[in-house]
Amino acid sequence: MTAMRTETAYKDDSVRQRGEVRNGDMDQVALDIGSPHLTDADAGPATGPALRPALFARYGDLSKLRYDFPLILVDGDGGGRFLQSLTSVVDGILRQIALPGAAAEPLRRHVLRLEGEIRARVSRGESDTLSRLWKRSAADLIAEKGESVFGPLATKLDYAREALHVDGAVIDCDADTPYRVLAHIWTAVQASKAKAFRKKVDALIMKLSDILKADFMKSDKAHTREALQSAIGTSFESAFDFAAMSHVLSRGPSEDRLSEDRRRRIRAVLQVLQSQRFYGPGRASERRPDQPEPYGFVFDGCAAALDAFRDRLPEMLDFVKVLTIAELEIQNKYRTELHDPVFARFDESDLSEDQLAHFPSYLVCLRDGHTDPAETVRAFETLASGLPVKVLVQTDDILGTTSPEPPRSSFGAGSARLAAMAAGLNDTYVFQTASANLYRSHDRLVTGMRYEGPALFAVYSGATPSAAGMPPYLLSAAATESRAFPTFVYDPAVGPDLATRFDITDNPQATVDWPVHELFYEDEALQRIDKTVPFTHVDFVACDTRYARYCAPAPRAKWRDDMIPAADYLKLAPERSVEHCAYILSVDAGNVLYRTVVDDKLIDVARHNADAWRRLQELGGINNSYANRLLARERKAWEEQKAQELAELRTAASPTPEEAVAPAEAVAPPILAAVAEPAEEPEPANPDEAWIETARCTTCDECTQINDRMFAYDENKQAYIADPDAGSYAQMIEAAESCQVSIIHPGKPRDPSEPNLKDLISRSEPFI
Amino acid sequence: MTAPLTQCLLRLIDENYTLTDYQSDTPPRWCTGCGDNGILTAVQRLCRDEQLSPEKTVMVSGIGCSSRLPHYMNAYGFHGLHGRALPVAEGIKLRRPDLNVFVTTGDGDCCSIGAAHWIHAIRYNMDMTVLLHDNEVYGLTKMQASPTSPRGLKSNTTPRGALLDPLNPLTVTLGVPNVSFVAQAVDWIPEVLFDIITQAYRHKGFSFVRVLQRCPEFMDHRFDPWIHDPLKTRLLVHAEGIQLKTDISRIYRNQETHDPSDLHRAREVASETEEIPVGVLYRNSAVPCYEDLREGERPNTPGLIRTVLNEEFDKFTIWPEDDGAAPPAE
Repeated sequence: MTAMRTETAYKDDSVRQRGEVRNGDMDQVALDIGSPHLTDADAGPATGPALRPALFARYGDLSKLRYDFPLILVDGDGGGRFLQSLTSVVDGILRQIALPGAAAEPLRRHVLRLEGEIRARVSRGESDTLSRLWKRSAADLIAEKGESVFGPLATKLDYAREALHVDGAVIDCDADTPYRVLAHIWTAVQASKAKAFRKKVDALIMKLSDILKADFMKSDKAHTREALQSAIGTSFESAFDFAAMSHVLSRGPSEDRLSEDRRRRIRAVLQVLQSQRFYGPGRASERRPDQPEPYGFVFDGCAAALDAFRDRLPEMLDFVKVLTIAELEIQNKYRTELHDPVFARFDESDLSEDQLAHFPSYLVCLRDGHTDPAETVRAFETLASGLPVKVLVQTDDILGTTSPEPPRSSFGAGSARLAAMAAGLNDTYVFQTASANLYRSHDRLVTGMRYEGPALFAVYSGATPSAAGMPPYLLSAAATESRAFPTFVYDPAVGPDLATRFDITDNPQATVDWPVHELFYEDEALQRIDKTVPFTHVDFVACDTRYARYCAPAPRAKWRDDMIPAADYLKLAPERSVEHCAYILSVDAGNVLYRTVVDDKLIDVARHNADAWRRLQELGGINNSYANRLLARERKAWEEQKAQELAELRTAASPTPEEAVAPAEAVAPPILAAVAEPAEEPEPANPDEAWIETARCTTCDECTQINDRMFAYDENKQAYIADPDAGSYAQMIEAAESCQVSIIHPGKPRDPSEPNLKDLISRSEPFI
Repeated sequence: MTAPLTQCLLRLIDENYTLTDYQSDTPPRWCTGCGDNGILTAVQRLCRDEQLSPEKTVMVSGIGCSSRLPHYMNAYGFHGLHGRALPVAEGIKLRRPDLNVFVTTGDGDCCSIGAAHWIHAIRYNMDMTVLLHDNEVYGLTKMQASPTSPRGLKSNTTPRGALLDPLNPLTVTLGVPNVSFVAQAVDWIPEVLFDIITQAYRHKGFSFVRVLQRCPEFMDHRFDPWIHDPLKTRLLVHAEGIQLKTDISRIYRNQETHDPSDLHRAREVASETEEIPVGVLYRNSAVPCYEDLREGERPNTPGLIRTVLNEEFDKFTIWPEDDGAAPPAE
């Protein structure tokens, strides 16, 4: 069973012993197993031994096993990992401090023993933080061994303790687990959100304060003797003549001040930023005594959460406006005539998801048996509203109380349906799972809590009262295994289509109807028998004492040939099913194997459940009927086409030798001649006209200093000849000679009457 | 296309800066023919093309001809102490990371009196663009040898000729840990100068550009061999570096494809003496910026400063009742 896979046990031998199932000599049969149809009247109350599904045989005392629980609700951000299992923490410590090899074996054993002690305390209901549990357990172990607190055991445990860098409440798998885990992750995600929020708001406060401060420094008040004196402090005040300084400063030219309107606006923005109630102020911010407490965001009903949201909406709108104004003010781009009308019109419809993401999300916790069933309907409406509300629906009883058939009115079944319905809301994050999977679903939970829109978490706790004696961990894992409460996620943020959004791969062996597992046991001759056993919905229902009356355990002696496993029975055609009776394998307290014959009612429920599972598979892209049909159609078309081609080939005349050896060149596409990139030749300059290689001009001012009408700068501040007639040819030659990068080409003289023309022409030759 | 409200509202403000928006009222007082003019133009073109707000742009300089550049830019400027341009720029960037910080410095300002700051500024890798105007001489003080002056240069301080080989700012920069961007340009190929400064600006980190620059007064004809023989200038081209336009490519045919991520080859190229390598020698965007590394958990708002100060003062406060309780409310 994937969901119940355990890691290395500390008492490996004893577990293996427990895991073996012995076929026994049982003579107690409660009912006439010859009748495959057990009814209420036939059966009466169960009188057989308390049985469990045979696959549970290896899971006896969970407190002796190393598995996902107890969980640690990690304090702080935990490097993004808000849940840790005790096992993984201890493994991490051992990897760090205990080198491989025999030398470190005592240390490993001591630490594992300590872990066992902590696990035992938690399973006894002791609730505390890991560090305190560690301390108490270590003290007990040391006392038990009779060593002093400075002895070798204490030293080893202290050494391990130093490598422990995680702390937080340690919880076991029980009725409170879904709420505690979800609330913890919600709190941790809100804490990181609060951090980012405070950082953003504080940066705005700081910059706006700077603007006001800079403005104040230009005021007459800041130039008074007293203000200057207080700025220096008392240590060196005798070294300055503050009156003279004040006199000098006040005589200076008056500086630009902020307009009164802007100053007032900035102050108003600061006031809103500093008095917001959505997040607490954090450690190092001043909090005025008259400032109201921050808002709470955890509710036990959807109506209360929605009311709170509506009440706070005006404040949220104000805050969003203020954030925008603050950024405009910081960039000095607030224009009253432009922006005032925009903000005057600003209302709820202008709120974007990005802006809503600044605020905390609302957490609503509903629980089977504790919450008004009408809340289920409200939860659906709340999720449909698209607001950032995270709804936890915890179910303790999937099967209902009255009948093994799916009850129509019970809250438990309703919540299971709610998750599937919520996935149809399109923009709601939906995650359904059982308590046993919570640790492995850490990332799914965090993603849902971080999702900007609404999210639904439907969790089966496994704490069904009628399954007394069955650990909630085991029962919740069984719910997932048996497809009674399958795990699935619908995440609208990951992609546009169902194939990326909907995922059922977290289920064990998701491609088949029922997951199968190995079971091995001894027969009467003490020989090992290996079997592959599916875990069906019937196995899960049989864990519940309310349905014991529909089950008839048959010991080995009463086994008959017409008994077939329930999973096979479910596959039979209706007319053939009358020939057989369905059974599941069970064990009693002594791990003795039984075939438990089950009533048709349970078979019907299992069939109904398998049908629901197959629909879920289709949504998850497994055995999708549309795809299968399309595939069959395409395959058929392809086969027909190929058959036709084959027939054509057979009937076609044999090719002539000439055709067979057609020259390859004739069919090969002509090779395109490489098209040479046309050389970008510059326009041939007229050697008679003066010109400048403008792109190479270094802006050195040589030419413009000679004649700034003849030579001018373009928009890149590089020279060109603005007017060749604005100066003499002599100036043109002088500029060409002065240009350090020799990019001025003077051309021919434009005025034939200019003096010394012959000499100038000869000087121009190097630049033509 | 959609955009956040703030961005929409900001776009309502139509700003279109032209080159003249970055020109100050003071006309440049550099000598006619000075390479500094070309560098100033390239910086102004960059500001225009990137549409940098003048009020969000700071030019910081030390002392020297090159360090007069902030006067000629219509932006914030800090004409500071000799050799201290970089610490001032670092202070500005730390306090105001939103500003575009440029540093203009000369071969004396950076490589002599400011050498210590230079080395550590490279190591700190703060996001700024540094233009080293290297004319290989002290020009403002009428010709004294600088650390990059060629051996044998006769100047007021080296009448018998400079005795030492010059310091190579490129190899020095490339030898400092955390170096993230090194390029070399020459003022007489303005298009390439502009391209390189643009690349430097866009690089997040300490972008160091050495610009070989003519000094017509004291080092006249120093670069003539390279100016008049384009084959003596080796242009480093690469998809991650600069790419040449056709007209430039036709003149400067001596080209090498140089991958700017290759530090080893960058050091070899930087050591060339016969040919002048021009282009992006080295670029590593993965080096973290100091201002990001030391960014606090929260901005230092006035409220935060007061609270933290009070917490510190409380540690030394002696309460009237020495039982650890807070004083009674007044």
